[in-house]
Amino acid sequence: MSEIPPAVSVRHLSKVFKGNLVTGPFMAVKDVSFEVKVGEVYGLIGPNGSGKSTTMKVILGLLAPTKGDSSIFGKSSTDVTSRRDVGFLPENPYFYKHLTGLETLLFYGRLSGLSGANLKERAQAMLKLTGLESAADRRVGGYSKGMLQRLGLAQALVHDPRLLVLDEPTAGVDPAGSRKIRDLILEMKQRGLTVLVTSHLLEQMQEVCDRVGIMAHGKMVREGHLDALTAVENQTEITLENASEALLAQIEQLVKDSGGDTRLVSSGKPRNTLERLFLDATEDKS
Amino acid sequence: MSSVFRHSDGLGLKISRVWTLAHATFTQLIRMKILFFLLFFCVLVVGSGFAFSVINPEQQLGLLKTVSLGTLQIFSLVIGIVSTALLLPKDMEDRTLYTILSKPVPRFEYLVGKLLGVLLLIGGGLIIMDLVLSVVIYARQGMVMQETLRALEFNGQASPETMERLKGIVARQGLTWEMHWAVLAIFLKAAVVTTLALVLACIASSTLFTIVVAVCAVIIGHGEHLLREFFLHPYLSGQLERFAALAFAMIFPDLSQFDIVDGVVAGESVPLSAVLDMVGLATLYVGGHLTIAHLLFVEKEL
Repeated sequence: MSEIPPAVSVRHLSKVFKGNLVTGPFMAVKDVSFEVKVGEVYGLIGPNGSGKSTTMKVILGLLAPTKGDSSIFGKSSTDVTSRRDVGFLPENPYFYKHLTGLETLLFYGRLSGLSGANLKERAQAMLKLTGLESAADRRVGGYSKGMLQRLGLAQALVHDPRLLVLDEPTAGVDPAGSRKIRDLILEMKQRGLTVLVTSHLLEQMQEVCDRVGIMAHGKMVREGHLDALTAVENQTEITLENASEALLAQIEQLVKDSGGDTRLVSSGKPRNTLERLFLDATEDKS
Repeated sequence: MSSVFRHSDGLGLKISRVWTLAHATFTQLIRMKILFFLLFFCVLVVGSGFAFSVINPEQQLGLLKTVSLGTLQIFSLVIGIVSTALLLPKDMEDRTLYTILSKPVPRFEYLVGKLLGVLLLIGGGLIIMDLVLSVVIYARQGMVMQETLRALEFNGQASPETMERLKGIVARQGLTWEMHWAVLAIFLKAAVVTTLALVLACIASSTLFTIVVAVCAVIIGHGEHLLREFFLHPYLSGQLERFAALAFAMIFPDLSQFDIVDGVVAGESVPLSAVLDMVGLATLYVGGHLTIAHLLFVEKEL
């Protein structure tokens, strides 16, 4: 039985931009290698200018690698057919303003090879999935940033791809919209889609990603499973509910009495995230 | 440098995808109201053809054709250059190009789709204007005939010879097939200039650059015969100037080959072979420009 190829494979990728006579060539990505396995959510994180977007563009065939190569489900990224299995949402996407939301999805669906009743069904299904049904007949020029982002996600999914590539999917979106997009990513994961995502919002990445790669100065500096990367190996966290003061004092004493290197690092009430607070306060309670 | 973006089997030029892109480009331009504005302008100009004071019937019909066909020529060239110069950089700036090319769309199809959309707009506009112009000229030639007849009868000059001469003028200067060939020549010239603008848009870093260079190319393209003369007659200039003239003549298309409007207005006939020559030449230019545009665009880093 042949081995299933990874959803994305990047091998020793380097990318040099020619630049001009004054600045000279610029190396944006230096010998980067990683794989995204089928069905996982992989986060590519790093500061601005770390080479994330360049790497993504090479994967999508929008840029040619200077050295190395990348492939999607075993097909070279330079091969146009590799994009049959990919849905891409760029950062802050813009669409043709003269088209309505539905027309936009029909346009991208046709480009992906869909037609007839199947195309219409997929477009309607994507509008429903992204919560844009009521805005389907409105011109995209009048969409809010969050709606554009969701439309971007809908166009990325319209041809039912196996791989979803998201570049800063929650950039500039309010917390509620951001939560919706995050929920959609999790839903895609449950449906078995492979997702490659970049974001600056590390907390959100932590919630959705199985594995992450951290890029800096064009290089991959850390890579692995999120749990393994984020766990503090020599610390243990216990969360108690309805614990009395007496019980807490007993636990503290027990730790002191145990001797050795064991010590209580912190204790107190866990904080709700500001995002959770925002969502609770702004959610429609009616 | 070899192309790193390969086309694969089963993904050769797909008409439905090209048509989808062409249709989107066409509607984009229509909704930018470019066509309506220019059509309105053209109708005004055609209308103004009635306003000039004229001496004789020949002059009346000739002036109407000169003004109308001249306007159509400018209209088609402006739309071709400006639309092409605007659309490609706009798609890049808005990142619409990313979402399009991240679908299984070969870059050549994108270029052909964009070009077809612009040509549909120009072609559509010219067909509408040709119809309007035909109706106007047909009506005008009837009016001119009646007015001239009345004047001749009033002056007692309505002899059979004069009548024949009048019919001859109307046959030459009125609604003729040659006028439609002139509109076709205008379209072919616009198509050549549009593809040249497409080549420029693939290498340009700004819309302004594309527009300025394309306008220069149109000016040079109309003076190709002068460049050729410059090159072929050594006594006219030095060696360097001659080779510069040759280089210009080779780079820029010879647009004077499509200039039949003056002849048509003068009442000259246009043989079918001349029309076929123009179509063949335009096909060569468009094909050549499209190939160069593709070679540039396929290597373009987005």
